[in-house]
Amino acid sequence: MIARIALLLARPGSAGAAASVLPVTAFGIVTALLLMVLGGAQTFWTWQDDGGVLYQALAVIALALLVVPLVSLGGAAARLSARRRDDRLATLRLLGATPATVSALAVLESVVLALVGAVLGVAVYLAGVPLLGLIHFRGEPLGASGVLLPWWALVAVPFAIGSLAAVSAVLGLRQVVISPLGVRTRQEAPRMHWLRLVVGLGVVALAFGLMAVLQVAPSVLVILGMLALAFGGSIAVLNLMGPWVIRLVAKGQARRAKTPARLLAARSVLESPKAAWRQVGGVAMTSFMAVFAGTGVAVLEVLGTAPDAESDLLLADIRTGILITVVGSFLMVACSVGVNQAAGILDRGDLYRSLGMLGMPTGTMDAARRRAVMSPLRITAIGSAVTAAIVMLPLTGVSLIVAPASLLVIAAVLAAGIGIVWLGLVATRPVLDRAAAAG
Amino acid sequence: MSSYVIEAAGLSRSFGSTRALAGVDLSVRTGESLAIMGASGSGKTTLLHCLAGITRPDAGTVGFRSGTGRVEVTGLGERERSRLRREAFGFVFQQGLLIPELTAVENVALALMLNGMPRARAEEYGRGWLDALGLAGMEDRRIGQLSGGQAQRVAIARAQVTGAAVVFADEPTGALDSATSADVMQALLDSTTSQGRTLVLVTHDAEVAARCSRIVDMRDGRIVGERVPA
Repeated sequence: MIARIALLLARPGSAGAAASVLPVTAFGIVTALLLMVLGGAQTFWTWQDDGGVLYQALAVIALALLVVPLVSLGGAAARLSARRRDDRLATLRLLGATPATVSALAVLESVVLALVGAVLGVAVYLAGVPLLGLIHFRGEPLGASGVLLPWWALVAVPFAIGSLAAVSAVLGLRQVVISPLGVRTRQEAPRMHWLRLVVGLGVVALAFGLMAVLQVAPSVLVILGMLALAFGGSIAVLNLMGPWVIRLVAKGQARRAKTPARLLAARSVLESPKAAWRQVGGVAMTSFMAVFAGTGVAVLEVLGTAPDAESDLLLADIRTGILITVVGSFLMVACSVGVNQAAGILDRGDLYRSLGMLGMPTGTMDAARRRAVMSPLRITAIGSAVTAAIVMLPLTGVSLIVAPASLLVIAAVLAAGIGIVWLGLVATRPVLDRAAAAG
Repeated sequence: MSSYVIEAAGLSRSFGSTRALAGVDLSVRTGESLAIMGASGSGKTTLLHCLAGITRPDAGTVGFRSGTGRVEVTGLGERERSRLRREAFGFVFQQGLLIPELTAVENVALALMLNGMPRARAEEYGRGWLDALGLAGMEDRRIGQLSGGQAQRVAIARAQVTGAAVVFADEPTGALDSATSADVMQALLDSTTSQGRTLVLVTHDAEVAARCSRIVDMRDGRIVGERVPA
């Protein structure tokens, strides 16, 4: 029954093509990125030597870093599905359909969009295989045949993306109420305790202490353990403190705002700092990792501690891996932001239309929503990078003096990442124009 | 000099094959309260949108007369019409359609800030209007913390704070119970016609319309009657 209703609902709605194109594009990019990372990792798995294991471990870390923004994207796509079918799902509820049925419809639609996107992503990956093969690891190009995944992987990944979309859709729909009178987003109470800051600062201090006594560690295993503790602890702290810091900054911005766009943006972040964090939180880990690992690699390279050519190559490869992961993560966050924004605009369609009638220029509405994303993003990216720099303080200082170029590259990549997210916002402007059209 | 603030002639507007307006002539006098009544689909909201410069008619003209002269609303581009709506008109909608994340006073002040007024001064004016509409002490509440009637008063304050010459209201009491509806209607009249401003409202409610100085009835995109309430 659900499939038959879903087919009926698949007819074009009033939200415009962008509401379907965005999630499909987003899932397409995510699939292509995942396949590319998997393709590269596949090459690493053919290396049987001791160094190969390290590469495999790094590939797993890169994949883990990409999964977080992927899950967030899945949830955003599901919420968008629910909102773009707003009136129809509400009508079904009015006709007596149970919440479970309409939720299943939204999840099904989200999965279908994910699958369409995933298939397109496979096509993009296949088209990109020759270019991917040109990336150098261990001083040699990976080679097109090396990065080409077997057919079953090309089937399994879209299936996995579809399943992930279903799971995150179910989770995402917990924030949406589909009632007979319409679809609306649940409001979260923006309550956050200052204790978060105390715990956060304590853990950062502990991580800093661990890094300071790293050289007196008795064995490599202990060093690795301390590194993992410092890295993992700091990441956990970022998640704990992120929403709190975003709220604190937005509160100050709301107080000082002099223009309508600034006031609207700050208030919209204050409405749910957790939601603002979820949207860009993926960047926190990536940005932290980029500075944490990038600083270490830069110092090791310049100080010439690499004992042989193979280690030199390893350091260069880690840097390549960092850049690829950072770019991938930002691309996913950009997709997530795009989809979230489209969902948000459709959710507030009546309000935007009324603001248009009042004479508020669409440019002001656009500036407000852009600022509401970019401000937390900047806080997240820069805050995480600074946290990593503090944890690695002695090394950050050294690399700033002896290898400023490496830090500049990291900074440039972070800046480019922020630019990609901005493009994601620009892509949703037509949805806003359509929603705000007064006449 | 004409005492009409708005003069519309020969307004026609279609949406696909549906004809919403079929040659409407209507003049609105300065300082009057005009109720536009009619069944659903009679074209009353489309007429309101055309008069306010929200929608451009397929044919016909709308003129707006202010202290500085007559403006041909239908001849203006989108940007100029937005500016006119911002500076000269006020709007009250059925659901209020206030910005939920802003406080009551910020919602009101926003209308002035859009016209370039500094925030502190805009909020001062906003507080004044909220006080005048019986919302003293509620200025810093968010919209979700207000009742339907209180939210609608905030919407009235937002419509009035710019000193709008004409306030357009689309079913302003449609979502309220009868007692609150009477209160809100009184507040709307007190803040418009009692101060020499003009009110144009669309309503289904005969009791609401009866409180206006003139009623026009619409059917099938045409004005089919005009009366003065007893």
